[in-house]
Amino acid sequence: MIKISEIKELIKVLDASSVDELVYEFENEKLKLKKNVPTFESVPVQTAQPIVTPAIELADDKQPVTVEKVQPDYDYEITSPMVGTFYLSSSPETGPYVKIGDQVTKKSVVCIVEAMKLFNEIEAEVDGEVVTILAENGELVEYGQPLFGIKQK
Amino acid sequence: MSSTREKLIELLASQANTFVSGQWLSNQLQLSRTAVWKQIKQLEADGYRFQAVPNKGYRLIETPKKVSENTLFWGLSTKWLGKVIDHYEEISSTQIIASQHAQSGGQEGLVVVAEKQTAGKGRLNRAWDSNHHNGVWLSFILRPNLIPSHAPQLTLLTATVLARTIEKLTGVKPSIKWPNDILLNDRKIAGILTEMQAEQDAIHHVIIGIGININHKESDFDASIMKRATSLALETDKQYDKRVFIQTLLELFEGQYEAFLSHGFTPVKASWESYAYRFCDVVHYKAGKERAKGKIIGIASDGALMIEDALGNTKHLHSAEIDWF
Repeated sequence: MIKISEIKELIKVLDASSVDELVYEFENEKLKLKKNVPTFESVPVQTAQPIVTPAIELADDKQPVTVEKVQPDYDYEITSPMVGTFYLSSSPETGPYVKIGDQVTKKSVVCIVEAMKLFNEIEAEVDGEVVTILAENGELVEYGQPLFGIKQK
Repeated sequence: MSSTREKLIELLASQANTFVSGQWLSNQLQLSRTAVWKQIKQLEADGYRFQAVPNKGYRLIETPKKVSENTLFWGLSTKWLGKVIDHYEEISSTQIIASQHAQSGGQEGLVVVAEKQTAGKGRLNRAWDSNHHNGVWLSFILRPNLIPSHAPQLTLLTATVLARTIEKLTGVKPSIKWPNDILLNDRKIAGILTEMQAEQDAIHHVIIGIGININHKESDFDASIMKRATSLALETDKQYDKRVFIQTLLELFEGQYEAFLSHGFTPVKASWESYAYRFCDVVHYKAGKERAKGKIIGIASDGALMIEDALGNTKHLHSAEIDWF
């Protein structure tokens, strides 16, 4: 199953590209991303809002499901400073650095990203509450990929 | 550390071809004769040997093999790496102590060395067997002015330095298993653990931890790792001076690290590839949740392992578990 973080990544790529529509099919999954291409001729751009808002349709073979855009209740994203493997804990035997609902401070270590056997302890850099965890333990993450959503104090 | 001691060692070393009198030493150091004598006794306890002749004085005839803060300084020609050395006979883990130093502002180049570690650790807190005197166990602090995404290259740099040190002191050429394990004859001889604390765009500190099996006998290894681990002594049938090993390692590292900071990764890449283990072999690997296989064709300009799949597509692996054996 496609993960939300992957969909987000795809949206980013689509946003930055000249492609208007992207359809991805794998086994029983189908994902369709489509830009609302504005018509510049008739509608002058007057807002600072992003002009591209992708619509997401995630379809199953029989039961089409629409993923509603979840309104994020966080105002800060901790992103990965490098490509690597994301770890929620310092070892498989110990508990995670943080859980959803935990309070963190700027200096709190929230996870590790490992690349080429360098273990990067990522700090929260803000004071607040962990609202959501956007990557999975053991997953490969990209540079700049959101890892945590934090609601700042 | 005592600067008087260092000065005394320097004086004795510079006059090693001749005898120096206690009076001359006491004048040079502005210490009483008794104080000089006490210092000499202390040096003897550290493994220095003197020839002492009445009316002539002392002559240094042997520097110690024993590793201590004092002996490590002697003959170390680095500019900043190892200018502060924190040496322990026995400690939990040099990595933990170095990390504590770094948190409380420890300077770049601070080295923590232990003769024994009771809780030596590798990656993901896996145990690293180091509870005996026959290996070199050390960690040091770096504060490089690099963007964090380039820092993983330090692990490959460290591996090349370690490989060079081994080659220089034993004459045997080791292999580097991507990214940074050192092997001799397919067995692990040294491991590197690199831990970093960084913000998005700036590194607070990097702690490089190194463990090398130097003078281990077969019986020093636990049965569970005996087939996969070895030591310099086992592979070359010689004993090595740990002090010389540490000093050579620190000297080579300082030079290579400075070159890397000013010239980038290209020279490191060339050196790394000259030691590459299983170059051009097909290996199975797991990257994230994906399992695949491919041929190792080298490392990329950022240190990533380049793998070519059956269709001829090249993949760059930054993080992967590889089945090497």
